[in-house]
Amino acid sequence: MSLTESQRTRYSRQLVMPEIGPEGQEKLLSSKVLIIGAGGLGSPAALYLAAAGVGTIGLADKDEVDLSNLQRQILHSTETLGIPKVESAAARLRSLNPDVNVIEHRLFISENNIDSLIAPYDFVVECTDSFDAKYLINDACVRASKPFCHGAVIRFYGQVMTILPGKGPCYRCAFRKPPEPEKALDAKKLGVLGAIPGVIGCLQALETIRFLTGSGELLTGRLLTFDGLDMYFQTIPLKKDPNCAVCGGR
Amino acid sequence: MIEVRLFATFRDGRGKILEMSPDSVSTADDILNALSIPAEDVAILLINGFHSKPSDPVGDGDVIALFPPVGGG
Repeated sequence: MSLTESQRTRYSRQLVMPEIGPEGQEKLLSSKVLIIGAGGLGSPAALYLAAAGVGTIGLADKDEVDLSNLQRQILHSTETLGIPKVESAAARLRSLNPDVNVIEHRLFISENNIDSLIAPYDFVVECTDSFDAKYLINDACVRASKPFCHGAVIRFYGQVMTILPGKGPCYRCAFRKPPEPEKALDAKKLGVLGAIPGVIGCLQALETIRFLTGSGELLTGRLLTFDGLDMYFQTIPLKKDPNCAVCGGR
Repeated sequence: MIEVRLFATFRDGRGKILEMSPDSVSTADDILNALSIPAEDVAILLINGFHSKPSDPVGDGDVIALFPPVGGG
């Protein structure tokens, strides 16, 4: 694959970077990334991955755009209220970068569809807003040896980690089991400031780009936490759990 | 003193950083009890930056960090 003149201009700021360059750009253009959740985290992640020229971006989400989403879900707009999020997002991404093949998966993920959903992709960005979905994605990705990046936010707090199955701890190693349903407090009940998923979703895009181009040290075996109230980042070293129900023996 | 740093919703009604006397607590579990935080509600417990268990000992000068489960997206 060789870059067109238009692509050399579009990606010029990253083509001059030694960590990306023409070789990295071609890797990005030939990569397939699945973003599960086209909301607060999925919005910035999808926008930056599309802008960077990831060739195929799958978007999985069942919901429609609601007015209460627009405070943080910057893929969508007042004009797309009531439209399926994957449709609203796909139009925005195609308009941003026609190089990107956007695939719309309008569905709720479940045990029945998760394996076939993730199979065609090189990397998964976990941008969901429920514990059930986070554990479902972790378990499926570990089973399929599919690398993925976890993100989560609440109020002024966010966290990110990248899971490379077989090479470090999985989400379940770090967070053994989901909280009881009545204690699983989400952003609807507790709130979240839009800029927080903005920061965390961008970090997920950065992890994805660095994985695809082989740049730098990923957040594998490390949980990055972000305290946006007192403004500091912290990385927490995490170990693989030899007794992990999902990845323990791998 | 033992420094206890709380994150996200654990700060509600408790504050961000607390100090506890090493005379009053000997394990992380004692700290959780003193703060009325059930151990099963803690997603990550760090002692001096390392992933730890409630039964692990704590002493003077240690820094404990407690994170709740975070599931928003």
